[in-house]
Amino acid sequence: MTHPNSPRGTQGVAPAATYGIMAEFETPAQIMEAAKKVHAAGYRFWDCHTPFAVHGLDKAMGIKRTILPFLVLGAGATGATLGFTLQAFTNATGTSIWALVWVTGYPFLVSGKPLMSVPAWVPVIFELTILLSALSAAGLMLLLNGLPRLSHPLLANNRFRRATDDRFFIVIEARDPKFLRSKTEAFLKSLNAKSIEVVEDR
Amino acid sequence: MSATMACNPDLSDHSVLGDARLTRVSRTAYVIGWIALLVGCFEAWKQPDAHGFAMIWLQNSIFILTLALGAFFFTLIQHITAAGWGVAVRRVAEAQAANLQWLWVLFLVPMFWLVATNHSWEGRGHGLALVWPWADLSHLTAESPAEGAVVSAKSAYLNPTFFLIRATIYFVFWGLASRWFLQASRAQDQTGDPAISKRMRFMAAPALILFALTSTFAAFDWIMSLSPAWFSTMFGIYFFAGLCASGFSAIAIACLRLQSLGYLRGVINSEHYQDLGKMIWAFGIVFWAYIAFSQYMLIWYGNLPEETVWFIARQVGDWSMVSVALILGHFAIPFLFFVSRWTKRWRTTLLVGALWMIAFAWIDIYWLVMPVVPHDVATFTTYDQLAHAYQATSTGLSNPVNYLICAGFLGLFIGSATGRLARGAVLCRRDPRLEESLRFENI
Repeated sequence: MTHPNSPRGTQGVAPAATYGIMAEFETPAQIMEAAKKVHAAGYRFWDCHTPFAVHGLDKAMGIKRTILPFLVLGAGATGATLGFTLQAFTNATGTSIWALVWVTGYPFLVSGKPLMSVPAWVPVIFELTILLSALSAAGLMLLLNGLPRLSHPLLANNRFRRATDDRFFIVIEARDPKFLRSKTEAFLKSLNAKSIEVVEDR
Repeated sequence: MSATMACNPDLSDHSVLGDARLTRVSRTAYVIGWIALLVGCFEAWKQPDAHGFAMIWLQNSIFILTLALGAFFFTLIQHITAAGWGVAVRRVAEAQAANLQWLWVLFLVPMFWLVATNHSWEGRGHGLALVWPWADLSHLTAESPAEGAVVSAKSAYLNPTFFLIRATIYFVFWGLASRWFLQASRAQDQTGDPAISKRMRFMAAPALILFALTSTFAAFDWIMSLSPAWFSTMFGIYFFAGLCASGFSAIAIACLRLQSLGYLRGVINSEHYQDLGKMIWAFGIVFWAYIAFSQYMLIWYGNLPEETVWFIARQVGDWSMVSVALILGHFAIPFLFFVSRWTKRWRTTLLVGALWMIAFAWIDIYWLVMPVVPHDVATFTTYDQLAHAYQATSTGLSNPVNYLICAGFLGLFIGSATGRLARGAVLCRRDPRLEESLRFENI
């Protein structure tokens, strides 16, 4: 099955590899039911595409919770440590590099406070904690989602455009170990999908 | 939009209408409260320290006030943000806030001391019995001329007449506003009219402004003026952060208790508890620590004697232990405890955390109200000398009167709020956003 709009669908060009099979649903309730069955069937490389957040879909799909919070916690702890050591080094101490070179900071007395004045450092420690947490939360979220990427096979599909409007899609990818074109197609049909379509990888 | 729901909310009368189960709790709370209060007063009678008793009374009154003000603030932000999730728990907060209608009675005792020492009891060795030192300038000046001079410059604000007028304004506003929001919400139980929701949202804006002003100035008047020469512009917001810790925790505990009595089955679920936990964590733990540290750091950095004395009074003798306990118990430990998702969602851990926060909110108020700034603080040249001279300073935390009066007030507070719930619905059952709240899920 070649997509009608596909430029490679012309004569003389090898047919494109299959990205996966896409099933279209009309309501959140339908995709919720279907997602449960796809999960139960043991597929691993598949996803749901909906015009808005469907609460409970993650659970129906059997998606594990993200590890992002723990990564952000680590980034925050790194920021706090960095903020403390930076100030401790520059304000209060020096260090020797491999016992050869003595590197000193810039000990500077302010209003008779001790050099090691932790309360004064808290704002910098706090800000670095927030900075690294926020940046890593945003950046790692993108990375964990496989973003940024310039194109996606689904975006070339005309029918898929309605995923941003009023249709709900389940796509099972061809790289899934359980993927077998005829079987998967029959399986998706059994889920009462409105339409089934093979998506090419371009 | 979810097609499946984790649980089926029970909206039958047995689940949402207050009845004998709540009346029984209310009566038990009243009985325990009155007994504790009477025993507390009897214990205090045996201790000849009238001033100490007045301070204990004031401290516990303020603590109880924070429970109601926290719930009042919770109600207001629910309305102004048009929040959907909180409808399931809002009635609990409204009933708790409505205690503001009678809490002024508790403040009559310290206020009576104020009036009595200044008028009818003049010249009866009243110095000991004074709650707010600025009320007797001559006595204050005799003890510390420098402090007396500073305080006399503030007498246009800090004088008994204006003080009592302000207190009246605060309580009139709190009482009327909390009553209005409860009654409007109850009227909606009957009619289900969405216009009532709009009216409450409209009224929430001026009410929040007035809430900010009254709670700030109440903190200035009743707590900060206990050390009348000292000042901190951040004090009001510190009090506000503290009242969020105790008020929101009390809402969470009340919801848990209602469910254990068989109310609101499936109506409040772990999604709502997680959000209540988030509110406690954000306002009562993180924001509290942020403000507490900001206030401390500015004063520590500026290092001006008239400002640092307030913290020095909290760093001598046993008070230093209380200060450290607050940093750990009001911030570090609950911060780590409530940072996780499941501690907020699982009822047992939420209950433990909320009770913990209420306990430390009480200690926080105690730490604000009880320490006395030494009058001779200016005569020491170093902190070490001062700390040595006052190393035996006791916190008074071992005095059972503290806990008896606290239990007494808590009993009256719970009895009144529960009785109010028993007379009506425990859920805003016809709020237009109830459905949204029942289906609410954290992403």
